[in-house]
Amino acid sequence: MGRLRVTVETLAGLMIFIGACSPAAPQPANVMNVIGEAGRGPGAFAYPRGIASAADGTFYVVDKSARVQRFAADGTFLVEWKMPDYAGGKPVGLSVHGDGRVFVADTHYHRVVVYEADGAELARFGAEGDGDGQFRLPTDVAFDAAGFVYVAEYGGNDRITQWSPELTFDRVVVAGEVGGEPMQRPAAIVIDDEQTLWVADACNHRILRFSLDGRLLHSFGTLGRDAGQMRYPYGLDIDAEGRLVVCEYGNCRVQWFDRTGRSLGMWGGAGREVGQLNSPWGVFCRANGVVYVLDSLNMRVQVFRR
Amino acid sequence: MIAAFPWDIPLSFGRPEWLWLLLLAPATALGSWRALAGLGPVRRAAALAVRSLVIVATALTLADVNRVLRNDDLTVLFLMDRSLSVREHADRQQQFMEDVTRDIPADDRTGVIDFAREAFLEQLPMKGGYFLERGRLPELPNVERTNVAAAIRLAMAMFPHDSAKRIVLMSDGNDNMGDVLSEARRAKADGVSIDVAPLWFARRNEVYFEKLSAPTYAERGELVAIRGNLHATSHASGRLDVYHNGAKVALRDEYTRMALRPGNNAFVMKLPVETDGVQRFETRFVPDDPNMDAIVDNNQASSFSFVSGRGKVAVMSMDPAIDGALVDALRRENVQATLVDVTHEIPDPAGMIDYACIVLANVPANVFTEEQQRTLAAYVEDMGGGLIMTGGDDGFGAGGWIGTPLEAVLPVELEIKHKRIIPRGALVLIMHSCEFERGNAWGVHIAKKAVDTISSRDFIGVLAYAMGGESWEVPIQLATNKSAVKNAIDRMGIGDMPDFDTTMSLALKGLTATDASQKHIIMVSDGDPSPPSKSVMDGLIAQQITVSTIGVGFGSHVVEPPLRDIASRTGGRYYPVRNPRTLPQIFVKESKVVRRPLIVEETFVPTVNYAFSDLLTGIDPSEALPQLDGMVLTTPKDAAQLALVRATTDGNDPLLAHWQRGLGRVVAFTSGYWPKWGTAWVRWSKYSKFWAQVLRWTMRQDAPANLDTYTVIEGNTGRVIIEAMDKDADYVNFLDLRATVLHPGRGGVPMQFVQTGPGRYEGTFEIDQTGQYVATVNVFQSGAYQGSLHTGASVPYSPELKELSTNDVLLEQVAEMTGGRVLDVDATQSSVVFDHDLPPTESRRPAWEWALTWLLLPAFLLDVACRRLASWVALSLFVEVLILAVLLFGMDVIHTHWWGVLGVILLAELVGWTIRFRSIQPCLEWLTHTAAVLSRTGDRSAAALAQLRTVKDRVREERESASVTGGGASGAESTRRPTAATVDPRRRYDTGDTGDRPPEIGLDEALGGATESAIEAPKRPTSATDAGVGESEATTSRLLRAKRRARGDTQSGTGPAPPSDDDPS
Repeated sequence: MGRLRVTVETLAGLMIFIGACSPAAPQPANVMNVIGEAGRGPGAFAYPRGIASAADGTFYVVDKSARVQRFAADGTFLVEWKMPDYAGGKPVGLSVHGDGRVFVADTHYHRVVVYEADGAELARFGAEGDGDGQFRLPTDVAFDAAGFVYVAEYGGNDRITQWSPELTFDRVVVAGEVGGEPMQRPAAIVIDDEQTLWVADACNHRILRFSLDGRLLHSFGTLGRDAGQMRYPYGLDIDAEGRLVVCEYGNCRVQWFDRTGRSLGMWGGAGREVGQLNSPWGVFCRANGVVYVLDSLNMRVQVFRR
Repeated sequence: MIAAFPWDIPLSFGRPEWLWLLLLAPATALGSWRALAGLGPVRRAAALAVRSLVIVATALTLADVNRVLRNDDLTVLFLMDRSLSVREHADRQQQFMEDVTRDIPADDRTGVIDFAREAFLEQLPMKGGYFLERGRLPELPNVERTNVAAAIRLAMAMFPHDSAKRIVLMSDGNDNMGDVLSEARRAKADGVSIDVAPLWFARRNEVYFEKLSAPTYAERGELVAIRGNLHATSHASGRLDVYHNGAKVALRDEYTRMALRPGNNAFVMKLPVETDGVQRFETRFVPDDPNMDAIVDNNQASSFSFVSGRGKVAVMSMDPAIDGALVDALRRENVQATLVDVTHEIPDPAGMIDYACIVLANVPANVFTEEQQRTLAAYVEDMGGGLIMTGGDDGFGAGGWIGTPLEAVLPVELEIKHKRIIPRGALVLIMHSCEFERGNAWGVHIAKKAVDTISSRDFIGVLAYAMGGESWEVPIQLATNKSAVKNAIDRMGIGDMPDFDTTMSLALKGLTATDASQKHIIMVSDGDPSPPSKSVMDGLIAQQITVSTIGVGFGSHVVEPPLRDIASRTGGRYYPVRNPRTLPQIFVKESKVVRRPLIVEETFVPTVNYAFSDLLTGIDPSEALPQLDGMVLTTPKDAAQLALVRATTDGNDPLLAHWQRGLGRVVAFTSGYWPKWGTAWVRWSKYSKFWAQVLRWTMRQDAPANLDTYTVIEGNTGRVIIEAMDKDADYVNFLDLRATVLHPGRGGVPMQFVQTGPGRYEGTFEIDQTGQYVATVNVFQSGAYQGSLHTGASVPYSPELKELSTNDVLLEQVAEMTGGRVLDVDATQSSVVFDHDLPPTESRRPAWEWALTWLLLPAFLLDVACRRLASWVALSLFVEVLILAVLLFGMDVIHTHWWGVLGVILLAELVGWTIRFRSIQPCLEWLTHTAAVLSRTGDRSAAALAQLRTVKDRVREERESASVTGGGASGAESTRRPTAATVDPRRRYDTGDTGDRPPEIGLDEALGGATESAIEAPKRPTSATDAGVGESEATTSRLLRAKRRARGDTQSGTGPAPPSDDDPS
């Protein structure tokens, strides 16, 4: 009996010692990688505001130095290029087409610029204005299965327009009042497998779901900090299980929703530590449950598994 | 005391004397050697090793062990000269920085500081090279000087501590402020190397004005001699244009044609002076061949003289149509009044000195820059000038004068101090100024400016978007404690605002909750947040809250439509701002919107409050003064004389107040605004007489001191020399000279005079920017005021424009002093700039805490465990967990690669199993042995039976032979018995191993029980009884026990407990 007692006591002491000595700021177990730091060099960010994933596992980030950078999934810097004009303002969003083309919403030049994966410019479309074929501060781009391109814009002209695969203007999909409120800064759009359009209506703090002909199917979200509420949803993606992943600029967190708008959980919180976010602008998820979130004012991308 | 560890081990110690404790380790080992003998050799060695480790860890902890981190990363800070002399070299410098930072090592950092008179950080030291965009460098506030020392000083403060440090100084070396060499020495002492990249230039053909001087004083009607000195680098010819009080003087060609020789070319010109006051002279040289003169800005010079005469009065007005009546009235009374339209021009310091009195007729504060406001205050206090402020919607508190330098000069407080209830104003600032260079610093500055402008009875609130959402950076509150509000503003973070709606609705809510009569919002933004919702806009309009918007971008795009729309719909104004320097004035102008409650627009008849006031001479107190229809509310200051008031049931409001302030006199007339408030006054028969009387009281009483004075400029210093002689040509000594210099940027600056010889006095002032420096010297002798004199000098252009070539000597000296090199700014030398040829930096990180947690504590636990944990299995587990904890968490392997973690686990298992092997081995041996025993049991039983049979036979034989012989025992039998020496100690389970077990040893007694001895040296019987019967009994009982055991084994399948070597008991 005495032997057992000594053994148990010593092991308990050891456990207490290990517990007491665990690192002061433990890295959250689910953060897998932190990519980037403040700077203007390759792999560094100067207030990054747009992030998008490509089908081949790479991803792109555009920042306030007007650079588009491409990274491997593990954060290895691959290539970068600069926007053609940037003195008047920098892009805030970009998306990657299934065929690898990169569509950059060149916000302050009121157009979308299309690039090859290596940065060779392919096309530009749109011009400043409120009319057909024009934009005012475009924010994000999405693609449907038929090859049509959708562009969100704000600045008093808050709407979603549809463009043909040849990048000519087709029609306005959504504009004006939606559910009793005019859209205010649709900051992110994404089209799911069921070919419905999800819109992060940032300044109304809500998520909207439309059919591709512009019919409102569903809307959820109110301003607040509780689960199910949101504050400036700037980033939006849909994960492999069909859940919505929303990146909240205002609440500095990522929140999951099912398709009915029920909150499934949150990650993050305002701060500068790993596992915390400062004014995040974008998010995307990978098939294996891995989420990349653009931690904008911390000048980095955090990769975590939910 | 810091001691580094020898042999290049990266440790150092704060208190190395504690390392003597290490000597205890061998001493303890020797001392414990015998005491721990009971543990057996392996445990004893381990225990001693661990105990020594405890001592080592204690010594390290007490000695304040530090880890020394060596880092050969490099930080290069580029210092970019942006002074006037090299203004055309900005691109060249940027190109150089782009070139040399293109392919630099990934861990090297680059930072950029630009400098002229002051130094600014443009790029924090960061990895990835140079990133500033061409043409986007913010304008520097003063490029008229070069201050390399300030740039080096800032660079030293900006270097990260953990890398080698190099400065690359790009400059022409024409430093004219600060002390470069002593700063370079400091850099050298800090291990910083300064490479220099001279910006080469040489101006071969250049003409510039060395100086132009005019006598300080002149008499009306005399010819004034102005003397000039033109410097030319080569022969040049040209024309000299001369301007007197701004007008070109018509001179014959023979006086204006100049043929310049290399060197200084002096000239004298005599000009007639026909008017009183300040006489300005300006000369400009126009070369015949523009190629003969590289810089034209330095071809001009100016000077001025004072001609004493009758005092002049300036009536400063925003609208000559309104204030023309006053000027006319004054002229009727023979006052030399001039109407100055301040929307077009503001007099410079010498121009102000020219006036004996200045009238601010309903002029708002924002018309003047801060410097001009300071100059105005100094004009009164130090120069003896007179000042009259009259009211109107832009006068006094309503004109934004609260908190300005002029408020201290006025005889009334601009705040309403007494208890009466007057309507309050409420101002909310919405700050979104993060979108331009240094935008947040500007945001803080202008917000504080607004706080200064409002009354302490007004509400103030500041809104911004910070991390996590919109918030009141200053919750809406009364501005009673302005310094607390400003402290809060200093701390505010201004983030990127997504929409105007949230902040504006917060402002609407906050303003609605106040009881203010005037509610105003000032919003500064680049316009790209989403516009406010209709409900918020409707709310603002319904509440009559005005919103003024300020569009800031400065180079980048400003989304103007929403800003214009918000302003126009709420009745505010939109300001497209091109230069951030105009922001403070806009903020002051907008902040005074909430000061409208200070205006009372009701008809009243002024009441004489102090009939003996000098200003009311000739006005019968019983005579009714004409009525007025409005005024601005103020509070009288204690020392002021209150001549006229507006009497109300709540008390008297000052209408006409006056006092002496410093050397000057000041009058406040809180009404005015004649067409609207004072129509009856303008018609009053004594209107002109009254104002002439007020002006004559207020005007500077010039008493020119009869002293010779002149001013010279020597580099960055102006020197005023006064020679004092009395009428008998005797020197006047021990004069008390009290002087103030009006600095073009800083207002009045006191100047000290010292007597340097008989009757000779000298004072100096600092010159650090172009403009006029006007000094007023008040002369006192034996405590009595003797009079004043004015003098001064013009600095028409920056000394930067006099530089003809690069000062490479200074630059090379800096490089040589700090071990730097001279680089060619036009060649790409990335390999040189980012050469890792500087000694690596060492930084020390305290490690005592680590040693305590991860060395001392584990070693201590292990020491106890070695002695107390008897079980090898438990010990092995303990050691395993300890290895995992120390390596994974203490050494932080868990945050490295997965194979690191795997390696640690494997190591821990290896050690654990090595220890466990000591208990596993006997187990294995026991198993194999048991099997052998079982197989041998049958044979032995047969042998035993045979032996029994033999014994039986022998007994029978002996009985038979005894019966025959009656014989004794046989000694031969004993030799067949096994001896202790031949018995294998481990065969104690054998049937031959009887109950002669090792003695029971208590746990406490053996401190873990010497298990080694338990398994190695079981005590064997060393002798046996010779009794044959006894032996046969023993043999029998042994046989029986062996049988029982074998049966038990086969029946239970588990067998008896193996001999436990881990249990000494």
